[in-house]
Order: sequence, then C-alpha cells, then structure tokens
Amino acid sequence: MTTETAEANTLLAEEDIARAAIYDLLAALLHRPPDAAALARIAALEPGEGEIGRAVKSLAGMARVMDPESIEREHTALFIGIGRGELVPYASYYRTGFLNEKPLADLRADMERLSISRAPGVMEPEDGIASLCEMMAGLILGRFGEPASLAVQNEFFRAHLAPWARHFFSDLEKASSAAFYAPVGTLGRAMMDVEEEMFRMIGEGEAIGPVAGSA
Amino acid sequence: MKQRRAEKREGATRRDFLRLAGTGAPVLAAMSLAGARVAEAGEAVKGHGIRVTEHMRKYYESLRF
Repeated sequence: MTTETAEANTLLAEEDIARAAIYDLLAALLHRPPDAAALARIAALEPGEGEIGRAVKSLAGMARVMDPESIEREHTALFIGIGRGELVPYASYYRTGFLNEKPLADLRADMERLSISRAPGVMEPEDGIASLCEMMAGLILGRFGEPASLAVQNEFFRAHLAPWARHFFSDLEKASSAAFYAPVGTLGRAMMDVEEEMFRMIGEGEAIGPVAGSA
Repeated sequence: MKQRRAEKREGATRRDFLRLAGTGAPVLAAMSLAGARVAEAGEAVKGHGIRVTEHMRKYYESLRF
C-alpha cells in the first residue's frame, strides 16, 4: 500500500500541486480569517503570470496593509453577520435560494462515493465554498485515497463548483464589506476560469484515460 | 502503463496552459497555511491518508517558485 501511494504521488505534475495549493489557499481564507503569521506569508508572495498572478499580486498587496483584526471583522460581516452575512457561501443557497437543498444531497452522495467524510464536530453543511475548495484540493492530491483522475476531478467540478462558484467569487469581489476579501474573490474567479478552460482542453483532446492512446 | 503514457502526452499542453495562467505562486502560501486548513472535508478512509498528506507536504516544500 505504501509503495503504491508513494508511486501515485510521484505521478502528480507540479502544475496539479499548484492547482491544489490554490484551492487550499482559497479554502483556508474563506473558512477563517488569516492570523498574523499567515498574513505575513501571503504578503511575501511573489505573483506569477496571467489572471491568477494579478489576483495574487493584489492579495499580497492587501495583506501588507491590513491587520488581522480588521480582516476578521470583514470575514464576519461577509460570511457570518448577525443572522446572516452579506453573502451566503453555500451551493444550495446559490442554486435554489435555500440552504440544505438538492445540491447538498447530491454532494453528500458524491462524497460517499469518493470516500470523503465530514470531520467530526463540524456543524455547517458540506456544500460551503471552503469545503468544496478543500475537497477539490484533496481529490487532486489524493487525501481521500489515491489521487483522483482528471475525469473524476472534472465530474466533481462540473457537478458542485461550475454551476455557482464563479458567481459567488464574483459577488465576493464586489461585496461592499470586502477589502482583503475582494482579491480573494478575484483569485477564486480567475481559478474557476482556469479550471473551466483546462477541463475543456482535456475534454476536446479526449485525453482522459485509456482512449488517449490515439492522441 | 498505457494510461500513464497517455497522460504524459496530454500533460504538455495542459501543463503549459496552467503555467501560463500563473498558478504557481500560491503554493508557498498554501503550504504555510496548512496548519489552518479547513478540517471538514473529512478523512481518508483507506488509512494511509495521513501519510499521503505528509508526503505531499514534503513535496510542497521541495518546490521552488
């Protein structure tokens, strides 16, 4: 088992680890506001190219000028609030107008199939944006068993993120309470675009799995 | 084995695309936030999940961006 696991890991491309890292970063920041140490590391990020690079640059810039206390207040205003926050970051809410609807039931079925379980003590529904980003990272890296194939990743992305996540991140970018979280929204939106495009590329080439032999 | 070769082939274009999109930079930040990771996505059922994560953490650390 150990050998197999190690071998599976060596097959991961650097670029897929980077994808997982972006999902992890989004998950961590959306789940809870960063502490001073995390903020210092985000401030020190050196942005790369493209849309993602630009978003990382704004995020790093924001991390340099903001303190953890104001970011925490912002996080509360955005996602928790009194009664509710400015945004309700759940798939069911975005797709049906209500929490705990069919998108959550569908997700639970897929989680079961993919051997993903809710950590003990967690109360909020699983279809929150932070959880979904964490699940994508986990599927890519193989945290729930073997790393998921691109076909499985695509299926999960298509079913649970594609229908609403871009819309959510774009709302986050424009939210009136968002300062630090505006570039988090930009990063998320850019990531959703990159993922859409990437999955389209492999779809066109029929390059997933054994059929790719003819590519 | 056949599948692995095929994935290598598709890899070139897809990976080039990801590189150009600038996906590399946040790796270090995500690594440093690993301790604050959301826990609710659950645990691996096969029992080797923790080992995989540790391995991945080393992998993260070995990367230079």
